[in-house]
Amino acid sequence: MAKYTSMAYNSWDEMIFGTTKNPVSIGLGPVELGKGWVVPQIVPHPRPGSTDTKEKLLREYQRMTDDALGRCVALGFPSLVIEFEHIYQMTSQPDWAAAIFKQAKAQMQDYYDKYGLKSALISTVADLRKPDMVHMRDSQELTWMLDTFASTAENGADVLSIETMGGKEVFDWAVQRQDIRGVIFGIGVLSSRDMAWLWPQIVETAKKNNITPGGDTDCARGNTAMFLAGGYTATDLPHTFAALARACSAARSLVAYEQGATGPTKDCAYEDPIIKAITGVPITMEGVASACAHSEMQSNIVSAVVDLWSNEAVEYHDMFGGSSVEVFTEILGYNVAQMNASIALGQEKVLRDINIASDKYRDVHGFMLSPDNSYEIGKAIVENIDSYYGRSKAAVLKTAELIAGDSKMQLTEFEKDALDKARREVEALPDSEDEFIDQCLSDYKKVAGFDPSSYGF
Amino acid sequence: MPKSLNEVSDFSNIFTRYDIGAAVQKRGAEDVSTDKVLQAIATGVVDGDEDMVLENTNKALENNEPTKVIDTLIAGMREVSKLWDDGVYYLPQVILSSDALMVGLEKAEDAMGGKAEKKGTVVMHCAHGDIHDIGKNIAAALIRANGFKVIDLGSDVPEDEVVKAVKDNNANLVTGTALMTTTMSAFAKIAQMMKDEGMTTPFVCGGGAVSEEYVTSFDLGVYADQAKQGVEMATDASSGMSWEDMRAKYNLVM
Repeated sequence: MAKYTSMAYNSWDEMIFGTTKNPVSIGLGPVELGKGWVVPQIVPHPRPGSTDTKEKLLREYQRMTDDALGRCVALGFPSLVIEFEHIYQMTSQPDWAAAIFKQAKAQMQDYYDKYGLKSALISTVADLRKPDMVHMRDSQELTWMLDTFASTAENGADVLSIETMGGKEVFDWAVQRQDIRGVIFGIGVLSSRDMAWLWPQIVETAKKNNITPGGDTDCARGNTAMFLAGGYTATDLPHTFAALARACSAARSLVAYEQGATGPTKDCAYEDPIIKAITGVPITMEGVASACAHSEMQSNIVSAVVDLWSNEAVEYHDMFGGSSVEVFTEILGYNVAQMNASIALGQEKVLRDINIASDKYRDVHGFMLSPDNSYEIGKAIVENIDSYYGRSKAAVLKTAELIAGDSKMQLTEFEKDALDKARREVEALPDSEDEFIDQCLSDYKKVAGFDPSSYGF
Repeated sequence: MPKSLNEVSDFSNIFTRYDIGAAVQKRGAEDVSTDKVLQAIATGVVDGDEDMVLENTNKALENNEPTKVIDTLIAGMREVSKLWDDGVYYLPQVILSSDALMVGLEKAEDAMGGKAEKKGTVVMHCAHGDIHDIGKNIAAALIRANGFKVIDLGSDVPEDEVVKAVKDNNANLVTGTALMTTTMSAFAKIAQMMKDEGMTTPFVCGGGAVSEEYVTSFDLGVYADQAKQGVEMATDASSGMSWEDMRAKYNLVM
């Protein structure tokens, strides 16, 4: 398994959108990622009611897929990646998922044969294992997931990805209480251990079907913190605390690539600029075009080093400009055309730096995901690579140091207090991973449903 | 000449830091009692300090009726709500206060030999097929801390279990949360099942991609945008407000 003992890049300034150290080719064409241009990715989502029967759901996916491919041809977009993030009815019924993927791949093949449109299909299986409800390593839900990875891999998927749920029970308890130790334990230790157990199985399925093991995202934890923090007027969680949680996300999501995933990474993994700095895999990011799914404070800066530009998820509806899938395919396609035009003109660093300037000081989340800071956080992780706990702790402390050390990154007194408090608490944690885990296993017994044996303890 | 970001100091045409301008002045809570021990209980709740609450609850129960101690705990929580409403506290401080309150409440109820009278009963669940429950858990903590009995059915709950729990517990309010639009369709089924049984319990739905348009498309449905709305909604429902009146109060009635 890969062990990232050095950074993929010599400096942050080497990192740019569209180019990676370790490009990946997927699907029909093939679609090449990280080879010097950016590719758009649309994530369509079915409407409520379309899930009543297999036939209705197939019809919904047939229309959404055709809308996406058709708009690309109409406007001259050279390539497209389509991601199906499974709804519950797909992962829990592997035959439904298989039929949907088989149908979509046939449609993509038709467009490739007729127009030469390059395309690829990502299967993101829903992690149905809710840690406080089922055993993470032995449950019906796990069986469904593994079966659906296989059924979609055998029926047209080019990439396998997931948003794993490990550590969610402890994280949710801790984030509601602004408990940074619990966040490090939930994300940095429990989620990492769950990934290290699950990902070799995903990689094996991908290899068996000659397709690509993509990536994993800390959506269930890192994005929960980010969305709780919200915008300037929200009062659910300090933004500085959410940024520290994101630092843990990077140390944790790295596990997928250590276990054999190659990218493209998962789009909602906002920690991916740090992953790119460490691994050089092609990263998928979602920014301004994901406003259809959620609001965020770093929509432009996350495009700075992107390779596959996504929209998170758009529910299928009619809009004035066509269906929502057509409209968002168009938005993504033109975003990408602008990035690729800047590359053609040799102006890509100018565009990258414009996007950095847009958001670097808007909020601490954008600040830490600025490529210069992402690179520094990545270095802290690599210097402590051997311990899931140690690298999470190092990432948190480096992030806190960067935020506190840049006078342009303004903080309210409340945010500053939250940052200082978390920093003090992390600095007081033990050096030894074993000692930390022993303490946490004892102290977080109180979290309802937390079962250490789900994580091999 | 192009500038580097290091040379830029004025971002005012790129973004406005509304949070900096609107920063709230720190302030403490008001005292709720002249009795030192009782005040220490309230302070423990305000500070989210379980040990302080437990220690002083034990002391107070030596010389006070349990109901007096419970009133003090609730008064402390009321101060927490004020701090939250004023923007001095963020949600985590409220949750920690809620934890501390529950520690004291349990002790006082033990001394009383029974549960304190609740303002009402709320059945809460996360939709069938949906496991995203942090919003429900936050709302449950807030509602519980404000004196209601909460029956938390958990996540991925079948529709008939929800209806049964509402009926069995004679609930004043039922809530459902969902992250995905593809799971929220369970809400309409639950509402229909309740109607079929002649029930009129207001059914508050929210979370993630759940929309007001959808929730107000079926009878009994009342849409909630924020977990913190739960307390006021539980109060309204427990005082007898109908689902129609709640919808008129909280939602855009089309």
